[in-house]
Amino acid sequence: MSKRNQALVICGGLGIGLLVSAVTLMFVGISAPDLLNEFIFSIFTSSRSINAVLALAAPLTIVGLSAAIGFKARFWNIGIEGQVIFGAIGATLIATYDVGPEQFRIYLMASMAMLFGMAWMILPLFLSVKLRVNEIISTLLLNYVAFNFLLHLLYGPWKDPETFFPNSKIYEKSERLNNVMGLEINVSVVIALVFVVLMTWLLSLSRFGYILKFVYANSKMAKSIGIKVVLMVSIAALISGALSGLAGFTISAGIDSRLTQGFFIGYGFLGILIGFLARNNPILVVIFALMMAILMVAGQSLQVFYQIPFAMIQLIQAIIVICVAASEFFIQHRINIIK
Amino acid sequence: MDFLVNWISIVPQFAVPFALATLGLIICEKSGVLNLGAEGFMLMGAMAGVGATILTGGPYFGLLIAAIAAGFLSLIFAFLVIVMRVNQVISGLTMVFLAQGLTTLVSTQMEWTNKSFVGIGGLNFGLLADIPIIGRFIFGHDIIVYSTILIFAATVYIFDQTEIGLRIKAVGENPEAADSAGVSVLYHRFLAVVVGCMLVGLAGGYLSVVVSKIWVDGMSGGRGWITIALVIFARWRFWTAMLGAVLFGCVEALIPRVAAIGLQVPQYFVLMLPYLATLAVMIWASLGKNSSGAPAALGKAFVREERS
Repeated sequence: MSKRNQALVICGGLGIGLLVSAVTLMFVGISAPDLLNEFIFSIFTSSRSINAVLALAAPLTIVGLSAAIGFKARFWNIGIEGQVIFGAIGATLIATYDVGPEQFRIYLMASMAMLFGMAWMILPLFLSVKLRVNEIISTLLLNYVAFNFLLHLLYGPWKDPETFFPNSKIYEKSERLNNVMGLEINVSVVIALVFVVLMTWLLSLSRFGYILKFVYANSKMAKSIGIKVVLMVSIAALISGALSGLAGFTISAGIDSRLTQGFFIGYGFLGILIGFLARNNPILVVIFALMMAILMVAGQSLQVFYQIPFAMIQLIQAIIVICVAASEFFIQHRINIIK
Repeated sequence: MDFLVNWISIVPQFAVPFALATLGLIICEKSGVLNLGAEGFMLMGAMAGVGATILTGGPYFGLLIAAIAAGFLSLIFAFLVIVMRVNQVISGLTMVFLAQGLTTLVSTQMEWTNKSFVGIGGLNFGLLADIPIIGRFIFGHDIIVYSTILIFAATVYIFDQTEIGLRIKAVGENPEAADSAGVSVLYHRFLAVVVGCMLVGLAGGYLSVVVSKIWVDGMSGGRGWITIALVIFARWRFWTAMLGAVLFGCVEALIPRVAAIGLQVPQYFVLMLPYLATLAVMIWASLGKNSSGAPAALGKAFVREERS
């Protein structure tokens, strides 16, 4: 099937998904004009909504990339949430104890976040490579461990000293990701785009990406022609962990300006679903991340104006993924209609 | 001594959800369908069970609905992986995501969240329960605890002795051969997925209707994932799965009691216990024999060769 027809099929699946979602929303009592208004007009006509969408799309893009590079090595990183948590913990560590000179602190926070995200990947990677412990389960279990560790910090040593709420004390101005100079766009958007370019280069143009394709296609064959398969998979997994950690940093420093109890919720699954929908293509990751972000921002206003629980958006996201995933059937298989 | 008796006598309550869900997953996976959606089906069962109990006042009816609701949801999953041949890992994860959204949405709209109700109590064994120590271990649990053992025995019988059990195993081990012998891969995989998910749903229903007697969003709290690990630990064998479930019942029953022994461990580290224990069990399982015991066609979609 030609590339163009493939794209058409996927768009068809997407369209059906959106249609089913729209019908579901109408079912709970939102009229069609209101739907158009909430999901399209009010988002694209207000600069505040556009900013909100972009601020959400940035971490979503980064977790999408994280999932994508994992998939490319056939390493299922389901532990994105845990790495997001640890990334943000790493960044907050720098912010809380004022490590390093002020003008470099934000860079230090970003590097620490990537390092912590990567570190959280080491155990499941080791278990997978050395003992063949399934990484799907081990990375996922570590999400719960990371979450409990986060709660331990927020209810213990890192509790806000002024308000006694379970979140870290607010980052200082130099520790936040602010808007790009002169524009109303958060720096996290720029960071996300830089990594999209880097990943495009890494996956499709670099020698690493070329070898990784061998490993993906047939790891036994790759091994027998002398490719260090374990090393390739390890590098991909560690990059995946580092990216998730970075996403944690962009959420805490770009959106919340502090470490909160639930900042990571949903990013794990969404990252995987975005990576899957985008078929591991970094450019498509951006598009699907934007789409998910639009849904989420519209969902917030549905919650405020129509009292529709935010869970509705999660449901819609799942419906869309199901429809697109099912539409792939028509790409993989030729259908003969026998008369 | 008192501590031990108190601890062990509540283990069955905590073991039953693991046991039923692990059993359900093994049934599903014996047919060759990898089910990573356990957490979602469990949530669905837990929410539907509470809903039905609140609406009708009948907790046993609630448990029935818990199983049925999860069974219905699993039809989507079965359709995706069996008919549309979507990647089984992605389909499973999507089901979890879907169920999280769906259960939170429905329970909020119906105002079932944080609403308490009368659940199911222990059976009355009269004097038997007064036998020192043994009385509390064996008697005084609710009827589902005892039924679980029966369900296990029945499943083992079905898989070892009956035609249908053998057929399900056949489509999980070698679907091509089964197909050419005239066994419908589609039908048997659908059957195994739906029945398996109904048991996972029942496990969820037990969690909410019997154990906690309340519904809270996301209340399965990772037990579905632990169950997936238990299947690997049990090497897809039924009675070993029961053993694993009891082991994790012990771990969970221990958590609220750690403070009672006087151990000064920060509470959130104690809450990590089940997940760390699961990881330990996975590592232990990987050290053993070379063959994992997994059905040969697990995770692979069946594509029938074209016949001309």
